[in-house]
Amino acid sequence: MSATVDERISDELEALEAILMNDVVVKKVNDVPEIIETVVHPSTGDDVDQQFVCVTLEVRLTPGYPDISPEVTLRNPRGLDDEVLKSIYTQIKRKLLDCLGQPVVFELIELIRENLTESNLPSGQCVICLYNFVEGDVFIKTQCYHYFHSYCLASHLIAGQKYYQEEVDKLPSWQQMQAPQYQTCPVCRCRVTCDVEVLKAAPPPVDSITAPPFCLTAELKALQVKMSALLARQVARGGVVGMGDNGPPPLTITSPSDNDGGSTSQEADKAEALASARPHTSSENAPGSPQARPVYRGPYRGFNRRGKPGRRGRGGPAAGSR
Amino acid sequence: MAALPRRIIKETQRLMQEPVPGISAVPSETNARYFHVIVTGPEDSPFEGGLFKLELFLPEDYPMSAPKVRFITKIYHPNIDRLGRICLDILKDKWSPALQIRTVLLSIQALLSAPNPDDPLANDVAELWKVNEGEAIRNAKEWTRRYAMDN
Repeated sequence: MSATVDERISDELEALEAILMNDVVVKKVNDVPEIIETVVHPSTGDDVDQQFVCVTLEVRLTPGYPDISPEVTLRNPRGLDDEVLKSIYTQIKRKLLDCLGQPVVFELIELIRENLTESNLPSGQCVICLYNFVEGDVFIKTQCYHYFHSYCLASHLIAGQKYYQEEVDKLPSWQQMQAPQYQTCPVCRCRVTCDVEVLKAAPPPVDSITAPPFCLTAELKALQVKMSALLARQVARGGVVGMGDNGPPPLTITSPSDNDGGSTSQEADKAEALASARPHTSSENAPGSPQARPVYRGPYRGFNRRGKPGRRGRGGPAAGSR
Repeated sequence: MAALPRRIIKETQRLMQEPVPGISAVPSETNARYFHVIVTGPEDSPFEGGLFKLELFLPEDYPMSAPKVRFITKIYHPNIDRLGRICLDILKDKWSPALQIRTVLLSIQALLSAPNPDDPLANDVAELWKVNEGEAIRNAKEWTRRYAMDN
């Protein structure tokens, strides 16, 4: 291993830094460049607002580079689906072979940029409404490169604002002063700053107008029968929540006004099965649950212990209860 | 009732077409926003072998606010109380409209694999889980066998 850097590499780095300036990051180990990283955007002149896709290119220089191909990874793709990424990877492989023996990073950037320019429209669905983006839709790109119909994002931000205000109102005033404003991206929870009033004025997603009505299929009905049979067996065995308990009525929410937790009214179709299973007596507690507890006040999970909203857990499908 | 948003219809269809292993969710006959759910206890957890019934309700402003979910089958777990209510961040302040019925139910299944007695909802259970994990796990297995097995 040589401590000196191959001249071809140092020339390449110099050129990259001259062209990309702050947009390229070179990670070095013992002064030997190891990883070159840059975010590639489509070419849209200087109009950043028209860049709907991007990807981070990471080039790990192997010890024999450029006589041996570097390891190339694309990270954090935004607005690109797997097909496009796969195609870019295939082209990268070919380019690496073609350029063996000479610096290749700038060639890679160019190649990726061409691809991004070609597919500079978000692919996939709006995760809020699950409709695709189609001709005529008004959509917005957040600073974190996630896309939503403007209409959908407006609904999210308005709901978020309302929830936030309710939580702040519960805080003592000295903590209210410290509670930071927050509006987050539904996908990555990065902060978003958008003009809700402008978004709100956008029309709803085009596809939403032709929504087919919902109907129960035979398959669904069969599953319902199976489930109620299981429930009946569990009820018969005393395995259903609330049986033999004398706690408050179970949380069965049927209207938005009941959203805030705590005990609620039970409405016919929902609580029917339970009502039959759960006698409202003040009999003894179930085995395994010791003495009666004070009235349950409902989980207050809006803020962490320092009185700041958010950041209580990692969120996402895998997040546990924090 | 107002027309069911297509997002709910889409989610329902996908739950049928590409079911999540170990999870089934079926809308009620009378209310398409109300789902009957069965989650199987994860392998290598004290809930293994159990079939846990839950109810899930999509409020009027779903997906802007989180679904309401509750266990119906009794379960011995530090983050689930006697009434089946679940302590899970994404059902509260960490809700995001990018989450779906399937991701919520997966998170609940994950919670069964990873109880968190430091953020308890059922205090007595959490206490035992902390001071005598072995006994707590035995209790959880016993409750699973007694209440959640289908035989």
